[in-house]
Amino acid sequence: MKYIVIVGCGKTGRELAREFSHQHNVVVIDKSKYALDALGEDFNGKKVLGDALDLKVLENAGAREADILVLATGNDNVNIVISKVAKKLYKNIKKIALQVYDTSKKKIFSEEGLIIVNKTYILVEVFKKCLL
Amino acid sequence: MFIIIAGAGRLGILLAKKLKEDKHQVSIIDKSEIVCNKLAEELKGVLIIQGDATNPEVLKSAKVEKADVLVSTTSSDADNIIICNIAKEAFSIKRTVSRVNDPKHLLLYKHMGIDVPIDSTTILARIVEEEASFSDVMNLLSVKKGRLSIVRVDIPPNAPVVNKMLKDISLPPNSVLISILRGPEIIVPSGITKILSGDEIIAATIIDNEKQLIRSLIGRL
Repeated sequence: MKYIVIVGCGKTGRELAREFSHQHNVVVIDKSKYALDALGEDFNGKKVLGDALDLKVLENAGAREADILVLATGNDNVNIVISKVAKKLYKNIKKIALQVYDTSKKKIFSEEGLIIVNKTYILVEVFKKCLL
Repeated sequence: MFIIIAGAGRLGILLAKKLKEDKHQVSIIDKSEIVCNKLAEELKGVLIIQGDATNPEVLKSAKVEKADVLVSTTSSDADNIIICNIAKEAFSIKRTVSRVNDPKHLLLYKHMGIDVPIDSTTILARIVEEEASFSDVMNLLSVKKGRLSIVRVDIPPNAPVVNKMLKDISLPPNSVLISILRGPEIIVPSGITKILSGDEIIAATIIDNEKQLIRSLIGRL
């Protein structure tokens, strides 16, 4: 059982949170109460209402104990900033994954220890597999 | 110097104007086409670039690699941090200065290596606090990260130094009275200058002795 912190409770964050929460210890952070409420009955974890750019909020959600951190806010810059600072500060976190929409930023901010998930790259891979 | 400003809000525009007046070379970047078109008429001699400054290509078109300083003034802290970070990491800019919108985000700026994060909210709050309080003492200026401070002390009628000559007043070490403001008069004091009730004293002191200095002038804190 792993301790997973998910920042951003949009479509992606929500689906991940629901799925992970059946087998793992999950905490979801979002600025919007409405977004957290949308997790529904199916979610079996902790919700934190707040701004994850505030390190206090991140630490209240357990950043110092977590094994995995997922950055799934819809804002590339927010995801990148939090991932880089978390990597520097919280050595306990073994895997950090972040969503980055902008392909040019994926190139610049790629570094060891950060798993960057980019929709365009994934789609291209899927198309290639289907077509060739 | 060549200075690039990211974000053409009120702060960005004011800064661009001031720097231009001081004969610096200035470029300003903003996302909004409307803002940029308006600026083109307002800011002569400033290179205006329309685009998202968190995009490295946009920074490149602003010739960021040639800049001496990059200043980020957007209203998003994540954007400011990314802009300064790309400027530093990808374009080797030596000095990055940024506005901090939310004081709670200040730590992130520090951890991401922004050289000068300016937390305007906290600075403003301190000034307002000083102006709003009825204190006889006001910190005018801090030098060397606050180790030396210049203070203004208003002398009340019951202060122990009233009607005394400077040579008869004992001040803590590393403190000096710079001048006395008495109505329209500005007095540079000597040993025989007498302090009167209602005087405003400007003094310099090292921070450790500030309280002691104030106590010797007005008798309390």
